[in-house]
Amino acid sequence: MSTKSDDPRGLIGRRIPRKEDDRLLRGFGTYTDDVEEPVGTLHAVFVMSPHAHARIVSIDVGEAQQSEGVVAVYTGADFAGRVKPIVSDIEQPGYQPINRVIMATDRVRFVGEAVAVVVAESRYLAEDAADLVRVDYEELAPVVDVDQATQPDAPVLHDGTTDNVLFQASYKTAGFDEVFAAADHVVQDTFQSHRLAVVALEPRGCFAVYDRGHDRLTLWTSTQIPHIVRTAIANLLDWDETRLRVIAPDVGGGFGTKAYVYPEELIVSFLARELQAPVKWISDRREDLMTSAQGREYRFNVALAFRKDGTLLAAKAKIDCNIGAYPGFPFGASAEAGGAAIYLPGPYRMPHYAYETRAITTTTCPSGVYRGVAAPAAFFATEVLMDRAARELGFDPADIRRKNVLVAADLPYKNATGIVYSSGSFDTCLERALEASGYAAFRQAQTADRMRDGKLRGVGIANVVEHTGQGASRYRQRGILYVPGFDAAHVKIEPNGRAIVWVSECTQGQGHLTSFAQIAAEQLGIGIDDVTIIEGDTGQGPYGTGTFASRGAVVAGGATLRASQKVAEKIRRIAAHVLEAAPDDLELADGQVSVKGVRQLSMPIREIAAMAHSMDPRALPDGESFGLEATDYYDPPVASITNAAHVAEVSIDPVTGLVTIEKYIVAHDCGRVINPLIVDGQIHGAVVQGLSSVLSEAMRYDESGQPMTGTLMDYLVSTAADAPDITVLHEENWSPDTAGGFKGVGEGGVIGALPAAANAIADALAPFGARINRLPLLPSAVIALMKASPPQR
Amino acid sequence: MSTAKHRIALTVNGRKIVREIEPRLLLSDFLRSELRLTGTHVGCGHGVCGACTVSINGSTARSCLTFAIQMDGAVIETVESLAPRGPLSVIQQAFHEHHALQCGFCTPGFLMTARELLARDPDPSEETIRTALSGNICRCTGYVHIVRAIRAAARKLAEGASHVD
Repeated sequence: MSTKSDDPRGLIGRRIPRKEDDRLLRGFGTYTDDVEEPVGTLHAVFVMSPHAHARIVSIDVGEAQQSEGVVAVYTGADFAGRVKPIVSDIEQPGYQPINRVIMATDRVRFVGEAVAVVVAESRYLAEDAADLVRVDYEELAPVVDVDQATQPDAPVLHDGTTDNVLFQASYKTAGFDEVFAAADHVVQDTFQSHRLAVVALEPRGCFAVYDRGHDRLTLWTSTQIPHIVRTAIANLLDWDETRLRVIAPDVGGGFGTKAYVYPEELIVSFLARELQAPVKWISDRREDLMTSAQGREYRFNVALAFRKDGTLLAAKAKIDCNIGAYPGFPFGASAEAGGAAIYLPGPYRMPHYAYETRAITTTTCPSGVYRGVAAPAAFFATEVLMDRAARELGFDPADIRRKNVLVAADLPYKNATGIVYSSGSFDTCLERALEASGYAAFRQAQTADRMRDGKLRGVGIANVVEHTGQGASRYRQRGILYVPGFDAAHVKIEPNGRAIVWVSECTQGQGHLTSFAQIAAEQLGIGIDDVTIIEGDTGQGPYGTGTFASRGAVVAGGATLRASQKVAEKIRRIAAHVLEAAPDDLELADGQVSVKGVRQLSMPIREIAAMAHSMDPRALPDGESFGLEATDYYDPPVASITNAAHVAEVSIDPVTGLVTIEKYIVAHDCGRVINPLIVDGQIHGAVVQGLSSVLSEAMRYDESGQPMTGTLMDYLVSTAADAPDITVLHEENWSPDTAGGFKGVGEGGVIGALPAAANAIADALAPFGARINRLPLLPSAVIALMKASPPQR
Repeated sequence: MSTAKHRIALTVNGRKIVREIEPRLLLSDFLRSELRLTGTHVGCGHGVCGACTVSINGSTARSCLTFAIQMDGAVIETVESLAPRGPLSVIQQAFHEHHALQCGFCTPGFLMTARELLARDPDPSEETIRTALSGNICRCTGYVHIVRAIRAAARKLAEGASHVD
């Protein structure tokens, strides 16, 4: 089904500015640190390990306890036996589950791991006292990278495990070996993507207010998963879930790093009950850089096998993921390593695939599901190899992709891991992006004169897919037990005819309050201003999963659509009774229910709402109950595959090695677009995050495991002066699998940006025979690539 | 650490304020905790991200790198001064129409910086805008819509919309 969502009467598909903007623009947002503090609020500051790997010999909190304003100082021993450890994985083949105590008691495993927490009357006083906690450590050998961690004599980091490989899996299609061995041409290399900090602009933090009369706790926390946080607190603190309310208020960016349950959330909740006082903890940037789940330190050894004519036959991958000191809850050890293997096949006809993948623990900050998870690095490997294959086999990089990319006749296409691509516009997006970028003209000019203005210039293409909107079955299949997978919406029309919709997700800037209102308003036939979306509060609305992995539009959008349709059906039944028509003959639009094609036979939805609340003399039809509300849960049956083609054009200053992105085009297909303005914003932001990771960002650890980039002066995030303008072209092949036809779009921009930029830089450096297989490509790395071999003009 | 308090008198968003404060209190904490002006956000605490940008005596500055005690006699404006009620300012409206904010955490800093830019240069080029914004980090938008919004606001102001605010 290929349908444009531009029904002039519909709200879905319209470029509507956001409903949530007004208060944020006026400075009236309420992020966690902005929540009004009751008198007596206490402030927690954590004492962090300065060592990557050490035994805790002793902790002396005496002086800290005597410090001005200090109420309490807790160490790991104070929580032992009172809070259960976090267990992120299950007993199943390939996993070595570990227990993480919520505060280190005997051993620390990364710089920044908490060993004590000081609670005082103010943040300033708590920080003063934290400096007075004396910890005696006995340093142990650090294990910084996957090679060190997998040496036979490497220290085993976790009790109860036999080595540092916490998850491994392998797979091979039937007949792989024969096909691979018989291929005419194989391109192969080892690609290293580098550790990144996520840098959501609001650092992590949480605030717990305890109500001693009711034994109830409200926790405001900067999270993407409030329901999962609540369930985890209930389980680990042995607390009745009905007495816990977790609120994700305005959240200043998430990008996956806030899709984890963190020890601090458990500790702050514990302390509020223990001390019978409100307790707040807000990390500073240094702490956030050291402790919030990082991402993307992966090594991909990939080989692609081709026929002479450029036909892709098979891929072989060996993948090692450095997951840091602990697997995070709820995604566990397999999130990156499992995803890395599954994402790799991409948008090509490729019948054979074999992989081995491992998740390896090290003494670095825990790593996790940063935007795109392993897909950006997977496509960095495969798309760079695709370009190399093109050069070696004598094709233009665009032509080798044209030869292999999926076309309409291939669909539905089951890829080599069994994932079905049911709809998409893989070839169309490729052609549109090439055309919009002026690819052919660029190649001509490049052939005529490579350095026409003293700059090295190159163009790079990336064809990518994004696995979006994964539901319960996908998480169960991947062995991830603690992610429910479904989401839900409750739609309620009030007596005045206006609607409130409670959604089980929460927004970190993705525009849910507008997109979901568009969906609901269109079904209910009322205006977008007549719909209010409420999210991010476990005390209001149904249970659900949360916002990550490009699932909001698909799963919560689908739930909103279905719950709204249930209410719309009831409106039709009641109106049919009044208008003496069949419900199926009625349509809802512009605040009216009318007989299709007979607009004078109509009544205001407001009057139906009044009838449903017994505020109108007219009776409801026999058997119809009062109220005008409905809940629905939505669990998408399969992952929806979003596709995109990116084309980047770069120039490089041959003296400084500085790379400038001159042009950037994305042609993408996320199915039915709910709000193109918001989708453009998602893609722009993701592309720039990806480019930033290629050109400037790098989380560095020295050989002792010490993070070297602990401020934003060392960890360089792209600014407006570094980032390009971006053109986004929309294709809309509705998903036949999901409610509403939506597919997700949050991560695709990052996924495409790494390979597109890497290929453009490799193209610009082609005269030097440069082979790119590592990130980042800082000016120093670019100069090194130029020096590696002399120009071959 | 001396916690002796000192008196400061200043003007914040047009209101005269007198407070007794500790010398080490940061202006960002003073605004957020003492005055409950929580629109000014702290994204890094070391002067890089720009989320805490406010106007001090007519020039933008990092409130996370400024001690409140230095502000005796100063005139300070925060994001809450731009449109406390009624219609949004021209720049705010342009941010809304062009989807120049996502999570919104950095937005107050961008608005204060953009206001200063357009007061100084009413018709900035894209390059000028990007350079002027280079002290503010946004992690969500990729800056594309922010740049477009500021250009649109400049056009609106050139057409005679009343005030940069």
